[in-house]
Amino acid sequence: MSNEGAAGDVASLSTLGTRPPFYRDATVVKWLSQVVGLILVLLGLFFLASQAQNNLEARDIATGYDFLGTALGSDLGSGIDTDPDTSGRALWVGMVNTIRLAIAGIALATLLGVLVGVGRLSRNWIVSRTSSVFVETLRNIPLLVQIILIFVVIASLPRVETDQGPIHGWLHISNTGVSIPRVTIGDGFYQWIIFVIVGAALGWQVMRRQERRHDLTGQQTYPWLSLTGVVAVFAAVGWFAHPALGWVGAIFDAIASGVDALTPGIVQLVISLLAIAAAVQWIRRFLASHRTPAGLTKLIDDDYFRIIFAAASAVLVILFVTLGWPGLSSWIINSGRDLFEVIADKFGDGRTGVPITAYRPDIEQLGNFPNYGPAGLNLIQALAAVYFGVVLYTAAFIAEVVRGGILAVPKGQSEAAQALGLRRTTMLRRVILPQAFRVILPPLGNQYLNLTKNTSLAIAIGYSDVVQVGQTVYNQTGKTLEVVSIWMLFYLACSLTISVVVNFFNVRMRIVER
Amino acid sequence: MSISDATVAVSEELAARDDMIVCRGVDKWFGDFQALSGITATIKEQEIVVVLGPSGSGKSTWIRCINRLEAHQSGQIIVDGIELTNDLRNIEKIRSEVGMVFQQFNLFPHLTVIDNITLAPIWVRRKSRPEAEEQALSLLERVGIPEQAQKFPGQLSGGQQQRVAIARALAMEPRVMLFDEPTSALDPEMIKEVLDVMEELARSGMTMMVVTHEMGFAREVADRIIFMEEGEIVEVGTPHHFFTEPAEERTKLFLSQVL
Repeated sequence: MSNEGAAGDVASLSTLGTRPPFYRDATVVKWLSQVVGLILVLLGLFFLASQAQNNLEARDIATGYDFLGTALGSDLGSGIDTDPDTSGRALWVGMVNTIRLAIAGIALATLLGVLVGVGRLSRNWIVSRTSSVFVETLRNIPLLVQIILIFVVIASLPRVETDQGPIHGWLHISNTGVSIPRVTIGDGFYQWIIFVIVGAALGWQVMRRQERRHDLTGQQTYPWLSLTGVVAVFAAVGWFAHPALGWVGAIFDAIASGVDALTPGIVQLVISLLAIAAAVQWIRRFLASHRTPAGLTKLIDDDYFRIIFAAASAVLVILFVTLGWPGLSSWIINSGRDLFEVIADKFGDGRTGVPITAYRPDIEQLGNFPNYGPAGLNLIQALAAVYFGVVLYTAAFIAEVVRGGILAVPKGQSEAAQALGLRRTTMLRRVILPQAFRVILPPLGNQYLNLTKNTSLAIAIGYSDVVQVGQTVYNQTGKTLEVVSIWMLFYLACSLTISVVVNFFNVRMRIVER
Repeated sequence: MSISDATVAVSEELAARDDMIVCRGVDKWFGDFQALSGITATIKEQEIVVVLGPSGSGKSTWIRCINRLEAHQSGQIIVDGIELTNDLRNIEKIRSEVGMVFQQFNLFPHLTVIDNITLAPIWVRRKSRPEAEEQALSLLERVGIPEQAQKFPGQLSGGQQQRVAIARALAMEPRVMLFDEPTSALDPEMIKEVLDVMEELARSGMTMMVVTHEMGFAREVADRIIFMEEGEIVEVGTPHHFFTEPAEERTKLFLSQVL
């Protein structure tokens, strides 16, 4: 019904009478101003870049990212590779450190924040007081001070001793930090993970089946329990049966050589066809949405602009891949081949060992004092300080976000749920939390961004995150601008990833108002 | 005083029926403030009781005590033979037998109309979804808005929302319905559609306890009217008695202000 109304409006709009001159035509002005704005921004960026290039050349400062391939003369404190060959590799190690810190931090900060936030609302006096003190203390002290405080506190712990620590030596806490068991991926891991993935897919089906059965019959079912059970069974079977999948590597090898056989021309053709297909598809969908039972509605100028814009985008993409940057195609071929070769290598022949192994932390004495050996996962002092620093600090803010979200659900909602006889857990799960979550999500995303960016304070205590490593790199190479640009792009990429994930859930949770 | 009034006012025909709600000497304090003092009344099966009184007289508090949204501090409340105590099992039983309609509707905004209605039947009564949806549709038919099933509460008018709230409460097949000022938040032109539904419900034999300011509804539909002031029951009687020859001075004063 509303479609007809809209169609009627469009019809009446277009019969409004004579056309105004183009500079007063709202549609033309809207599109023209956007196109002009886009061109201006691009020109401005181009101007700034060339200006900076000229200035640097005039002052005889060499630019470019060649330094990423040159050797770095120093070691890193910690990371996947503490003795990297090149500056680029060192920066990569720093990025991995930052990403690991951010992911582990977000997980623990969320858990802690939710507990404390709910705790502040608890009717239990001790729980609510403790939670309040936690929040008020942590959020009112600068993060940098907290990180240094934790660093100092760890330094005042007892020294590493050669005798066994608590839990039969599975945990060590000392002034060097914390050492916990290291869990490593063994030879058969990738074959085993296939079993787990198949189990997860199957378990998912079982879970959906159980949910449907609950819907249809009202019987009590256990969807999550079944999912866990199926995955566990497959993981257990796969633990012993994974050598049977030794042939998987050959498939990826075949794919890799298939990709390698492609020529840049084919890739350009495929991308061009995809661009055309996408544009055609978009235009067809657009026209379909304007079709009513009475036939195609009259398109207004705005619609024509959209269609032209879609077609022009496709042409631009084709021009870019064929003429603008022909090298892109060979780059895609090379990285595609490399990717599948790496995967094939993971499944390589003879990889039939135990999928996962846990090692007990060891203590070795190389010099005068004993220290943690390589067997354990060592949360060294600096890492522990920055990790617990950002986690505690962010948890305090997340707690407030959670508390606010729950309080934002009107009291009438829980009263209505109680009056219907819903149990407390059902009420929380079906009524309160879905509404609170919608309020909590946007500010929660902000806290995740803050946590990720705050990990850069690691530089204060010398943990090798991307900023600290970057500083080392530009001290040695003098490429300040380039390193800063890498930092910016890296943090931008992290932040955008988090935003995209949070927004995805945000859109899904939105309530229809009218 | 109120004790004898409440008992005397029950007509013989009513007196023969089973007791549905029994309150004996119910007291309720909010801090130092006594919201209910010595409430004693019996509501019979299939009876329609309208509770009147100035704002702050404890009408809503009393009705909210009956399904334990507020806890009373002394006295007895017995619903359909089950005493309301701290025993969670009793509270659960009573709540699933007593339906409640709120002034602010309190629909769940994140669920569609039909999901609002089927939520409790599915998760409390353990009905299957098709069964619960069939029931929900027939209830929507009954309250006159079957075409709104797939909409969200925010897309409905106030009157429609309150009718959905009534359908939601009815879906639990309650033996008693409590109405806490169901029309006070509505625009004047929507009040009638809700009152019509309530009248139909009354005719169908539901036991109802209604807190309202709608004197017309009280006069037409009620079997008995209970007048409260300052947390006490002042006077109990049939609508005829209440509106034409009230006994108490306070009742007369109230009626002179609202009529």
